[in-house]
Amino acid sequence: MTDLDPALDLRRSRHDPVPEHLAELERTWLSPPGFLGWFTHVNHTSIGLRFLITSLVFFMLAGLLGLAMRMQLLSPLNGFLDPDTYNQVMTVHGTAMMFLFAIPAMEGIGIYLVPLMVGARDMAFPRLNAFGYYVYLIGGTTFFASLFLGLAPDAGWFNYVPLSNRDYSEGYGIDVWTTMITFIEVSALTAAVELIVTIFKLRVPGMSLHRMPIFVWAILVMAFMILFAMPSVIVASAFLMMDRLVETQFFVAEMGGSPLLWQHLFWFFGHPEVYIILVPALGIVTTIVVTFTQRPVFGYTALVLAIVGIGMVSFGLWVHHMYTTGLPLLGRSFFQAASAMIAIASGVQIFSWIATLWGARIRFATPMWFVLGFFGVFIAGGLTGVMVASVPFDRQVHDTYFVVAHFHYVLVGGAVFPLFAGLYYWFPKATGRLLHEGLGKWSCAIIFAGFNVTFFPMHQLGLEGMPRRVYTYLPEMDWTFLNQLSSIGSLILAAGFALTLWNVIRSLRHGADSPPNPWHAPTLDWATTSPPLNCNFARQAVVESRHPVWDWSRDGKRGVVDGLRSDRRETVVTTLLDARPQSVQILPKPTPWPFFSAVIASICFFGLIFSPWFYVAGVFGTFVTFVFWFLPRKREEVV
Amino acid sequence: MSEPVIETHVEVDASELPRLTPHTHPLWWGVLGAVAIEAAVVANLLTSYFYLMAQNEVWPPEGVDPPDLLYATIVLFVLPLSSVTMWWAGRGSDRNRKTQLALGVTASVGLATLALVFRSFQIAAFDIRWDEHAYGSILWAITGFHFTHVVSAILGTAVVSILAWKNYFTSERQLGVVVDTLYWYFVAGVFIPIYLVLYWAPRWL
Repeated sequence: MTDLDPALDLRRSRHDPVPEHLAELERTWLSPPGFLGWFTHVNHTSIGLRFLITSLVFFMLAGLLGLAMRMQLLSPLNGFLDPDTYNQVMTVHGTAMMFLFAIPAMEGIGIYLVPLMVGARDMAFPRLNAFGYYVYLIGGTTFFASLFLGLAPDAGWFNYVPLSNRDYSEGYGIDVWTTMITFIEVSALTAAVELIVTIFKLRVPGMSLHRMPIFVWAILVMAFMILFAMPSVIVASAFLMMDRLVETQFFVAEMGGSPLLWQHLFWFFGHPEVYIILVPALGIVTTIVVTFTQRPVFGYTALVLAIVGIGMVSFGLWVHHMYTTGLPLLGRSFFQAASAMIAIASGVQIFSWIATLWGARIRFATPMWFVLGFFGVFIAGGLTGVMVASVPFDRQVHDTYFVVAHFHYVLVGGAVFPLFAGLYYWFPKATGRLLHEGLGKWSCAIIFAGFNVTFFPMHQLGLEGMPRRVYTYLPEMDWTFLNQLSSIGSLILAAGFALTLWNVIRSLRHGADSPPNPWHAPTLDWATTSPPLNCNFARQAVVESRHPVWDWSRDGKRGVVDGLRSDRRETVVTTLLDARPQSVQILPKPTPWPFFSAVIASICFFGLIFSPWFYVAGVFGTFVTFVFWFLPRKREEVV
Repeated sequence: MSEPVIETHVEVDASELPRLTPHTHPLWWGVLGAVAIEAAVVANLLTSYFYLMAQNEVWPPEGVDPPDLLYATIVLFVLPLSSVTMWWAGRGSDRNRKTQLALGVTASVGLATLALVFRSFQIAAFDIRWDEHAYGSILWAITGFHFTHVVSAILGTAVVSILAWKNYFTSERQLGVVVDTLYWYFVAGVFIPIYLVLYWAPRWL
């Protein structure tokens, strides 16, 4: 049996009419249009984009807060922000960048791309996906809105006790932090389970584990890290919530509690968190390096092992945030060694990329520019990382601007540059249009320059002893010039990001139409139309190597799956290791119940700030909506 | 455009593949993921217990007795027993014996409710409140955590048993039973480490 697959006909543009057999499939997988329809969407392309767009909005807002902080520090004894406001701005900036931008952005890009890359028609639990999104949207908006109501938390993004317990932080600010962060983590956990199961079970036939794209490996490792790291922050913030709400004594030293328990629990999450953000970025970088050199990645197995290794070792590092808390010598030595060990895995990756790039005919388009920016900035951050991993050095610069410089190099270098590389790379996939190359390269260059002008002087400020989290400094400290330099840099940095924003807006309207595979990439995400069909793939593929799309254009033929029904949502389930066809999963249709569940859960979580009885209400309220959510489907829909 | 047209041939015929596979369905993996998260939460709670214990020279604090063993030990047997009835129900479901399924899940709900009653007696008899000492805080937190889980497992399984009595589950449609059973085993099983830590750690250590 031989015929032509319209989705794979590379000559066909997205405006061409589709043949009959695809029409019914597309109706089956359609997300209902309209305002009310919006609340029923479950397709991963829709939910993934929402995650991504929402997180970028939070990135912009939190970035503006960063700018406000730089304006306050422009001169000594400046009065732009008063101390209380500064503390709130600083706390919301840090918390939002971590919890509302970085993690959801990586999850969003995973949710959007993983099913496409493994060739599935959707994720394993589409409704759970939608639920996670609404939880994130409502929780994140509430958290951010607290700033404008003057109710924002002000104890820093890691919210240390005893500063944050009820004796030293009155008012509702810290409660907003504990409830909303716990709540948003629920969304991260649902996304993690979702991604793991999709990667394990919904890969197309033939995509055994060792043929999985590196990006999918990276998302898998990220999801496992979320699974084991997030519970500690949930436990920690639940303890703090109870300390503040019902007067438990977990962190109160006089009553047998321990403030250090907070630090252990928080950093047992907080350190892997950094790698939760970094690991998917490594996947993005590898994807782009492979595509723009047009050759297979060097050392696939070593690279996969390095990513898995980073995931594991990152759980043994948390105490290096606590060198100054009076640890036993053995503890300090162990964590110092573990911190240095992570450099081995990172080194393996860097050398794999260098070997892939070596002697290749590299296509220097904007995504590749951002990847090169990533190399520069992230390696600089890695070098200061090796420095602060050492106990004596760390004790010297602890709580100074040196640390601020270090983690901005690591996080902006390790996450923002790759994310923007990915934005330029996959924008044509999601919209069918190309971003403007000239604007993109200018944006990359300005971001790179602005970033270094902003954050490089902070190393020196830290060495000169300027503490972090201060709302001002005195003129006689001689910190004025470097602070001014940094503030000017932040404006340049903002201009660079604004240029990409403008590029996106402009290209959505006037961008050049993209061919289905503009970069000649090897992975399945490019084996469909851009933007993808409602059903992702008219026919699910069967793959035989790590680079199916390259194989197909070389051989002029490809294998597909046939026999899936087009009148309901079906996708192939395969075995975990070898991806042999096993069964077919029937996926649910659009439904509003995840939205209602998320609303009820949000009200109850938020209510916890005011009364513990909302806990009971929450358990029963969400249970009722879950029953409607899972209410068995009609007989004809399942048999 | 010079791209060649790619020829398509069918290699896998999915019309032959089963649609309803309760024991290998992705949802089974999903529940396993939920169990992994919950297990990580329990591990964090128990680690916190030992951390706080290590920070205090006297544990439980002066004048406070470790929680009473009687009811907790009864629960230790009642919950696994409810897992046995749950397993029996699952076997019934696998073999399309509808009455066995319905009886089994109902018995499990009954046994777990009994466990909750015992648990409530025993919570009422705790020698310390949650706001008197960190020992009380962690004792109440872990107990409350597990209590809520038993409640949610009972609620979910009650729905399953109503559906079972209404003959909803055919042998092809028993996915709900399989995942509910898996979660039940976890809720029952996780009581064992909790029991050992809360009831025996203060006596032995």
